[in-house]
Amino acid sequence: MSSEATAAADAHDDHGHGHHGPKWLAHHFDTPAQQFDAAKLGMWVFLAQELLFFSGLFVAYGVYRSWYPEMFFAASHQLDKIMGGANTVVLLFSSFTAAMAVRSAQLGKQKATGNFILITIVCACFFLVVKYLEYTHKIHAGLLPGRYFHPHAEHLVAGAPALPANAGSFFGIYFMMTGIHGIHVIIGIGVLIWVWIRNNRGEFSKEYFTPVDIVALYWHLVDLVWIYLFPLLYLV
Amino acid sequence: MATQTPAHPHKDDGAVHAHISSTAFYVGVFLALIALTILTVGQSYVDLGRMNLIVVILIATTKASLVVTFFMHLRYDNKFNALIFVSCLFFIGVFFAYTLNDTERRGELDADQNVKVLPKTGEDAPGGFVQPTPAAAGGEHGATPASSGAAPAAH
Repeated sequence: MSSEATAAADAHDDHGHGHHGPKWLAHHFDTPAQQFDAAKLGMWVFLAQELLFFSGLFVAYGVYRSWYPEMFFAASHQLDKIMGGANTVVLLFSSFTAAMAVRSAQLGKQKATGNFILITIVCACFFLVVKYLEYTHKIHAGLLPGRYFHPHAEHLVAGAPALPANAGSFFGIYFMMTGIHGIHVIIGIGVLIWVWIRNNRGEFSKEYFTPVDIVALYWHLVDLVWIYLFPLLYLV
Repeated sequence: MATQTPAHPHKDDGAVHAHISSTAFYVGVFLALIALTILTVGQSYVDLGRMNLIVVILIATTKASLVVTFFMHLRYDNKFNALIFVSCLFFIGVFFAYTLNDTERRGELDADQNVKVLPKTGEDAPGGFVQPTPAAAGGEHGATPASSGAAPAAH
């Protein structure tokens, strides 16, 4: 104990942070493995919190769907399966490229890591563009939550079941779930850009790729939530 | 430090030893996810009645499992992270079970109050409930027959 304290004091006297190990190893960790495990543990606790947070919306969905199954069936026909399906494929692909970015980082391939992160970001932006088109159509058609629900017959999907008066609650759930998911996509783009810049600076290596791994985990969670949102909202 | 209980015997050199899956494997997982997406979209054109929702959830959960197990490396990760994830799912299950147990049964017989309650208004539902005759009540309570059917007064 006393020798450790002395060593720490020496390190401070040196004004050096190279007290032990490489410079990316924070001084309160003994080994890179310990730092890596701690980072992953923290991220999984955060992801668990995210899932519990989203579960409130899923419970609301479950309650309303079981109370008003016909209304859900009718309202869901106003959503575009093609757009939702395209977004699903794009998001799954971006999850794949995120996993490939981590793999490249684990192998120390800096250029490939950067490229895979960029593809992931492009996919995320594509997802948001499609989401924007969908939202625009919903707003034009008056398919809005609660008391703002005033459907315009000429903008509705032809041949779809008639919308009951309480269909506004479906669109409340739709906008809340996809909206909060969309905010996660935007945050995901932000952290992907951050990790892309750090990768360009050459901060990552075979030995240290934790931020790439952590950001990819976040991105997979965004994908995970959408995997449930798509069939539950679009394919009722 | 090296003599501490090695949680990861192969990790006692202190370096990070993450499992690295092959590109072909990741491509395989991705193709499986796409196949399941096509399956779930195709299924939406077939009406299975009450099975619809169950099939949808099953397919989505299969996809989610693929993502969590392989893309998120939980298969090869520290088992404690898997424990966090599974316990999170457990509490989501508790959340669903308790909430739906309430919202799904509001129109049914409330055995404690001996009434049926309308979910919309909270008032006693008509029909089904037979007022106990004074003889059947058997002097259990001193309550008059007129008041015995009403829910206890809330104060």
